[in-house]
Amino acid sequence: MSDKKSHALVNVSQPNFLDDVFDYSLPPKIVFDGPAVEYIDGKPVTFDPKDMKTRDIVITDTTFRDGQQARPPYTVDQMVHIYDLLAKLGGPNGVIRQTEFFLYTKNDRLALDRCRSLGHKFPEVTGWIRAVKGDFRLVKETGLKETGMLTSCSDYHIFSKLKFDRKLAMESYCEVVAAAFEAGVRPRCHLEDVTRADIDGFVLPFVDKLMEMSRDVPPELSVKIRLCDTMGFGLSYPGAALPRSVPKLIYKMTHECGVPSDRLEWHGHNDFHKVHINGGTAWLYGCNALNATLFGYGERCGNPPLESAIMEYIGIKGGLCGINTAVVTELADYMRSIGLPIPDNYPFVGRAFNVTRAGIHAGGLRQDERIYNIFDTTKLLGKPPRVMITDKSGADGVVIWVNDFFGLKGEDKINKIKVHAIARWVMDQYEKEGRLTAISDEELEAKVKELLPDYWQKYRRGM
Amino acid sequence: MASVEERVKKVTARVLNLDVATIKMTDSFTVDLGAESVQSIELVANFEEEFGIEMDEDAALSVDNVGAAVAFITKVCKEQGVQI
Repeated sequence: MSDKKSHALVNVSQPNFLDDVFDYSLPPKIVFDGPAVEYIDGKPVTFDPKDMKTRDIVITDTTFRDGQQARPPYTVDQMVHIYDLLAKLGGPNGVIRQTEFFLYTKNDRLALDRCRSLGHKFPEVTGWIRAVKGDFRLVKETGLKETGMLTSCSDYHIFSKLKFDRKLAMESYCEVVAAAFEAGVRPRCHLEDVTRADIDGFVLPFVDKLMEMSRDVPPELSVKIRLCDTMGFGLSYPGAALPRSVPKLIYKMTHECGVPSDRLEWHGHNDFHKVHINGGTAWLYGCNALNATLFGYGERCGNPPLESAIMEYIGIKGGLCGINTAVVTELADYMRSIGLPIPDNYPFVGRAFNVTRAGIHAGGLRQDERIYNIFDTTKLLGKPPRVMITDKSGADGVVIWVNDFFGLKGEDKINKIKVHAIARWVMDQYEKEGRLTAISDEELEAKVKELLPDYWQKYRRGM
Repeated sequence: MASVEERVKKVTARVLNLDVATIKMTDSFTVDLGAESVQSIELVANFEEEFGIEMDEDAALSVDNVGAAVAFITKVCKEQGVQI
């Protein structure tokens, strides 16, 4: 039977802007209209994505751990300032629930103390140590309630790096977990390289054992599991096979091993450009915590970008939930000020993320900014949509730039006829002068002063 | 004093670098006379200067050919009390 259907045009007198999804005051809502079905061990398993709206999904931060492995160390002051901003960004509901610190150097411990002295409830500070029993002394000394520890899972790590076999690896990891319990510290086992591991032969038996050990301790000490997609091999596609399938990994953890969603975390890497979607997929299939770093800084190609997880969270929940999105811009400005580069086309914070160059787009932007702006970036990020002037910008682009420059709105805006001389100068730069770069704001400002002297006199005098 | 038609053709020839004698009333600014995007804006700006008028941007830019420009400018001049 054919699925072919005919579709009649629905002509309307008023446009339908689909405001229920594209409410301009927020990132667009992520709306599901049915279940996700995944075949696991040959049987269809249904997941309800709407469950994310009510489940306590959260973001955990690793800017100071994995994020710092990709750059020179932060100073203590820098870490304290970033931590303070993370608290403001995630808000009082703890959308950014935790952040983890190294504990090995004096500076690590000083930063940790100063961050905690700020008195923020969220993000809760946790530690990160090697899976070495002696390291729990460090955790105990700092008074932390939880620490992550490396429990590598793939044979690449077990055989080639640690020179163990699987039995030895499991026994060694479990010994450290027992030491954590003894120290009164909740262990968070980082299943390193899980997307390249033997799931049935090592991962599931190991997690079974961890869940068994957790039954003998108070709930607040029970083991958390972090699934570490160390090399970015994870796949979000329905039907993808283990060990790379994110949906199947989450299912095996939650359903076969009985790991509760609130004790399960996804930690991705971006080696194949899949880092953000894999994080969202982990949320969808039953993992509550998405581990991320600011602007995706992290080993090699980086980790899930925290600010993108924030936008995803708002899209899923359909509201801000206490998040202060403007802090994303503040964090980006701060990162730049301390020498961390952010590419111009980087979503939400790159200098050109909502800057249009094409004249035809500029024309649209001039009529209604929603046409070419993702959401109200002025309100949410303090970044109005802008145009960058090149040979593709046309008079439409130039007039937006000029009106922005003079701060003119509504009836006061200049029309594009008035900027014809500037538009001509721009075109001549490319057609006659052979220019290959964009026109800078400084050059345009000089041209406005020269070619629109009356407007300059009226709107710019005294500025 | 030159007619509106003569003045429109003279401005058009200057902006588009054409011989005024070759411009016909039926010529489309874009298709026949080759006006590019920025030149269309320059034409409107130069017509405003030539006649001492202010034209509505969208209406002016929707005028397609020389004859229509003559009619449109004549109408605007009357509305704005400009002697032609």
